[in-house]
Amino acid sequence: MPTLAHYLYVSGALFSIGLLGVLLRRNILIIFMGLELMLNAANLSLVAFSRFHPGLDGLPGYNAQVLVFFIITVAAAEVAVGLAIIVALFRAKQTVHVEDLDTLKF
Amino acid sequence: MTPSFPIEFCVLFLGVVLLLADAFFPDMDKRKLAHIALVWLGGFLVATFFLRPALLWASPAGFYLADPLGIFFKQFALVATMLTLVLAIEYAPVVERAIPGSKPGAGLGEFFILPVFTCAGLMWMASAADFIMIFCALELVTISFYIQVAYLRKCPASLEAGTKFLILGALSTGFLVYGITWIYGLSGQTGLSAIAGAFAGIPAIPQSSQTALLFGLGLVLVALGFKVAAAPFQFWVPDVYHGAPTPVTAFLSVGSKAAGFVVLMRVLGPFLTVPEIETRVITVLQVLAGITLIYGNLAAMPQTNLKRLLGYSSIAHAGYLLMGVASVGSPLAGRAIVFYLVGYLLMTFLAFLILIPVAKAAGGDDIAHFNGLGRRSPGLALAMLLAMLSLAGLPFTVGFLGKFFIFEAAMQEQQYFLVAIGVVTVACGFYYYLKVVRAMYWQPVPVDAAPVEFSPLGRFAAAFLAALILIVGIFPKPILDILP
Repeated sequence: MPTLAHYLYVSGALFSIGLLGVLLRRNILIIFMGLELMLNAANLSLVAFSRFHPGLDGLPGYNAQVLVFFIITVAAAEVAVGLAIIVALFRAKQTVHVEDLDTLKF
Repeated sequence: MTPSFPIEFCVLFLGVVLLLADAFFPDMDKRKLAHIALVWLGGFLVATFFLRPALLWASPAGFYLADPLGIFFKQFALVATMLTLVLAIEYAPVVERAIPGSKPGAGLGEFFILPVFTCAGLMWMASAADFIMIFCALELVTISFYIQVAYLRKCPASLEAGTKFLILGALSTGFLVYGITWIYGLSGQTGLSAIAGAFAGIPAIPQSSQTALLFGLGLVLVALGFKVAAAPFQFWVPDVYHGAPTPVTAFLSVGSKAAGFVVLMRVLGPFLTVPEIETRVITVLQVLAGITLIYGNLAAMPQTNLKRLLGYSSIAHAGYLLMGVASVGSPLAGRAIVFYLVGYLLMTFLAFLILIPVAKAAGGDDIAHFNGLGRRSPGLALAMLLAMLSLAGLPFTVGFLGKFFIFEAAMQEQQYFLVAIGVVTVACGFYYYLKVVRAMYWQPVPVDAAPVEFSPLGRFAAAFLAALILIVGIFPKPILDILP
């Protein structure tokens, strides 16, 4: 029977993998995947907390579950805008690698 | 005496109607859209003065809080958006050149409409009293800013700025939600007052929960540090400010920072009621303020591009504001922060407003492009002089009083070391702000200088801002009285 701690370990692992992907990968699309993974790590632990900490009436905390839905929606909006910007960037510079973003330096 | 919650919906509705107008009347002069938005936002601004906090639709456990602070920041957001639209009208020729379309003005409409949506987000942020609400409002602001920063889609600098802002903004969102998760996990609540109630209900928080709670709060602080441009989370600022269209840079530096500080003060509220956590949070804030002050001011010194310079200056101002947040125990701190933000709005918008016509005439936004402006157009140079002196903090300007109130609050909280850093960095500030003044008055006029053209609306806005900087700098009393 998995306990709260198990879910939190998995969620922590997902968050760390996402963060490492953002920090180490050089391809903007892969970085973007890492960012989405971080958001989903938060979703998993929110649902786990809500399930394992029922309120006084014995029902799960619904605030967290509502927040999960908002996070999913916002992540979709972020991807829509983000991919559009990345496509525009690819059209202008023919690259999606962070090393090639060097126009703005002083 | 109307309830306050319809105001944001009105702003949102205005944005949708303008988008439809943009789509259904393709032959219309798009500047008209900006004028319509200006008039309506002005109307909403007047309407906010008839909101009375006592009669508002708000419950202590609710997610929407319309206290005097919230209403004040709604007015702040509306004023900032109106000024952004004035800047955007001034900047429109550059946008038209950067986005070649099938007909003149194609793609210009959204440039005027997106700030309206951002404004709705900023207004919701001012009233957000629940982590769900904070998250949604913050994302509305951030996602609309992604589009605005990358708006000049044929210009590599703007796209690059947009991409960097997108990745770092999304990263800070990730930190924010993961931090909220942990705070929820330990308090079982997402509402800020409910969290405070949950802490008040238990006599002492066990050590392990304290660590987890501080971890969550730390992640939220990292995310808000990104929004307000505090070091060490400031690395996106210079590039994004440099690459973004100038009106967007101004809006980003004022709107995003002000909303970030409102949320920061609200979020810290429940945690500062717990003594074990309070001391550690204050220490972290002091360290952040010190690093931000030193980094912002020192890195601004060698800059030659005015937008980059103002980017670093925005980091430095975040440092002074954080100093105010770190002195939150003092009764003077809240008012000092709000007054500082008002002054910051006036002087930043004035500087960017003067930058646009000068950059249009000179073909770039380096400090060298201001050479001899004192002789070419004395009025503009005088306004820029005022903005720079106020940003530096010369007495009889609003910038001086803002810093004075912050230092006063910090002295009351016995943060002498932080005040010492503040005073030394103010001196550094004089050096780099006066570089612009030197270029305007002590450098020869370039031989190929084009005449600087400035629209009547822009002139009026610049004169209004310059007058307010002086008037509020000399007689702060009326403004201090209306501040919450």
